[in-house]
Amino acid sequence: MTHMHIPDGILPVWLWVAGFILMAIVLGLSLLQLRNMDMRRKIPLLGAVAAAMLVAMSLEIFVIGYHVNLSVAAGILLGPALGFVAAFITNVMLALMGHGGITVIGLNTLLLASEAVLGHTVFFLLKKRLPVFWRAATATVLAQFVTTLLLIGIVAVSRASPALFGHEEEHTGAIRDSVRMFAAVVLSLGSIGWVIEAAITGSVIKFISQVKPDLLGHVLHRDTSAEK
Amino acid sequence: MIDVARIDHWAATPPRRGPFHRASVFSKSLFVGLVVTAAVMSKNPSALAAGYALLLIAAAASRLPWFTVALFSLYPAVFALLYGISLRGGAGMYALLLVKAVTPAFAMVMFIVSTPYPKIFSLMSTFLPEIIASGLFMTYRTLFILLDMMDSFAAAIRLRGGFSPGSLAKNSANISKGLAMLLIRAVERATRLYAVMAVRGYNGSMAEARIGRLSRHDWLPLGAGAAVLMLVLLWK
Repeated sequence: MTHMHIPDGILPVWLWVAGFILMAIVLGLSLLQLRNMDMRRKIPLLGAVAAAMLVAMSLEIFVIGYHVNLSVAAGILLGPALGFVAAFITNVMLALMGHGGITVIGLNTLLLASEAVLGHTVFFLLKKRLPVFWRAATATVLAQFVTTLLLIGIVAVSRASPALFGHEEEHTGAIRDSVRMFAAVVLSLGSIGWVIEAAITGSVIKFISQVKPDLLGHVLHRDTSAEK
Repeated sequence: MIDVARIDHWAATPPRRGPFHRASVFSKSLFVGLVVTAAVMSKNPSALAAGYALLLIAAAASRLPWFTVALFSLYPAVFALLYGISLRGGAGMYALLLVKAVTPAFAMVMFIVSTPYPKIFSLMSTFLPEIIASGLFMTYRTLFILLDMMDSFAAAIRLRGGFSPGSLAKNSANISKGLAMLLIRAVERATRLYAVMAVRGYNGSMAEARIGRLSRHDWLPLGAGAAVLMLVLLWK
């Protein structure tokens, strides 16, 4: 639910420009944090996780219009900084395939990356308190809830400019009502999606913890240049 | 998801190369930029609709698969209309939202069906940090591997009775295990691919990071993009 399929030319210019600026700042900080990483280990992992996110996004649950993101799984596997980069790459690839506009890459990256960062944080905060499946599932539901609120915030703010579409007469009461309607829809239908996403993310992370636990142990995150 | 393999085939080995295939990546990215600018600035649905028609003609004249491109461009229309319904506007606003959604999407799909991805990444490498350029390239390579594996996985799971219509829990569990397995195998394959690239001299930078020059073949993308923008600016 936290990836906007809003095309170009619909959101107010100030909003998507602000999204790009904020995304560029956070992306810059993430790259700064990754400057000493071992490229040979991280780049393939980054590519594999971003590609898996794209494949997962093709699995749409038509009844509620939800598609799986695997963004929390990406955050857990990659960590916050590389998770942010993966979210950016995924959105650029989606825009290059004609899915979602170029102008909303900034806002979409912020939404998707906030899921990855929050998911990573909650998953590691719950360490030793819950089994792996439930840690990942809880992290997914919490991250999805928070980012859905962010999405509602973006839509609410974007409605502040009805003149954009030549509807100067639309008054704030109607805007508030439509935001309420949007919020009701995304929170009700979205919550079904969160449960499905949580079940899938939980199972994926549990399976990885059983089959290839070093991916979860963040062995790849260590700077191994000193070991050579 | 759009068929990435088909797009890649049209871009890299088209049956007939037209002016769009011969044009530089730089001019085609300018073309997309001009059309997106037109969509952002447009307040008149007729002007942008005329721009869309102009792009259709340009695609057909360039021997691009214009009908498929038009079909792909309709994808964002669904979301634009949903957004429009929540705004509770009139027919004029729905029309404007619709053309604002499909016109830049059409331009973007024209761009990708006439430009191989490595060339797009090569252009992006000139202004993006190295890790992002390499990440984009690895994602693109791994995506094909994953899509192939996903096809095999879907066939295998059907043959073994893994899909049960109506059983959400069973299907979700099988899909999750499949995704996890795909992810692990993708990491292994991507690691191997990266090692092979390193052995062959890949030292962390893209082999060909360049903007390219404008040439006489660029008249169509630049002309089409400028025409769409002029239409929007002049037809108010």
